Amino acid sequence: MPQFDPANFTSQLVWLAAIFAVLYFAVVRPTLPKVGRIIDEREGRVAGDLDAAVAAKGEADAIRTRYDDGMAAARSAAQAEVGAAQDKAARAAEARMKDLAAALDARTAEATTRLAGARDAARATLAATTAELTGEAVARLTGLDLPAAEIEAALAAQK
Amino acid sequence: MANPMEQFSIEPIVPLDVAGQDLSFTNSSLWMLIAMLVVAAFLYIGTAKPQLVPGRAQAAVEYLYDFIRDMLRENVGKEGLKYAPLIFSVFIFVLACNLLGLIPFVGAFTPTSHIAVTFGLAAIVFALVLIVGFAKHGLHFFSLFLPEGTPIFVLPLVAAIEFLSFLSRPFTLAIRLFANMTAGHVLLKVFGGFVVALGSFEALPYVFGIIPLTVNVALTALELLIAVVQAYVFALLASIYLNDAVNLH
Repeated sequence: MPQFDPANFTSQLVWLAAIFAVLYFAVVRPTLPKVGRIIDEREGRVAGDLDAAVAAKGEADAIRTRYDDGMAAARSAAQAEVGAAQDKAARAAEARMKDLAAALDARTAEATTRLAGARDAARATLAATTAELTGEAVARLTGLDLPAAEIEAALAAQK
Repeated sequence: MANPMEQFSIEPIVPLDVAGQDLSFTNSSLWMLIAMLVVAAFLYIGTAKPQLVPGRAQAAVEYLYDFIRDMLRENVGKEGLKYAPLIFSVFIFVLACNLLGLIPFVGAFTPTSHIAVTFGLAAIVFALVLIVGFAKHGLHFFSLFLPEGTPIFVLPLVAAIEFLSFLSRPFTLAIRLFANMTAGHVLLKVFGGFVVALGSFEALPYVFGIIPLTVNVALTALELLIAVVQAYVFALLASIYLNDAVNLH
């Protein structure tokens, strides 16, 4: 096998050393780090973009939360206002009802008083009329003209 | 039938004699040079105008470089990334030599089928491990041979075994690659010889030669796989050995 012929070794090793040195120092070293930098830059860029996206998402979430909170606050405020208005209206209605009831009561009382007055008046005239009629009847029946006071006294005694 | 070992013979192209040493530019040197030039073209084209959104050539370079960097990150850790260019050089040089040697008809020679070349590459890895190990840990690097938790009475034996296995690394690294390449090329040559031998029957020309030819096509595919896998294994073992030097287990 030519592989085990030591006569070839020196030449192969020397040429390998020379060619590998050129490969490493003149080919790989000047070129590969450029690509390495680009790869790192790209990774940094992608990581930065991802961070920015995460930040933007957080911001959007915050806005969303703020919007939801605002909506909830506005809703509860509106509900409170509606409740207050309802309350106020109910109270006003109640007050008006009370006023009305009081007015009606007053008128009832007035009417009752007037009725009582009329009744009393009627009753007062009734006694006078009865005495007058009784006097007339006595005059017609007996021809006596009795004084009114006497008749009244007699009627009162009859009662 | 031609001798299947003939393909490995080293032929001087430009004879060169320096101080009694034969340093001729041979077919082996030529194909190492071609491999280096192919890699140079690949890298210089791929990194001519590095862009954030890579083109085809740049994407190809990035893919291979990322592959090596991921391997180092996994086996050595973040500290290993410093050595990515060297491991990358070893990997791509072995890969280029292995693959270019498989090209038929052009008289391709596979430098990595020679133990001198594979040993030279393994020596680069071994030297890197030693330099990094001693530079980083000083004499403490020898604690690599003293696994933790070993009972004291077997410690000398374990240390001796560890030391031997450490010393054998460049040889196993070199022999694995050389043996794989040599065996593959011998197999291809043997079946190539069968094509000629069976195809030259007088009665039915070419018919029987088809069988070994089919085998040879399949073998070529297998050898392509082996060429890539062996380059990968070489770089992987290099990074595992580097891990010892950087992290001491």
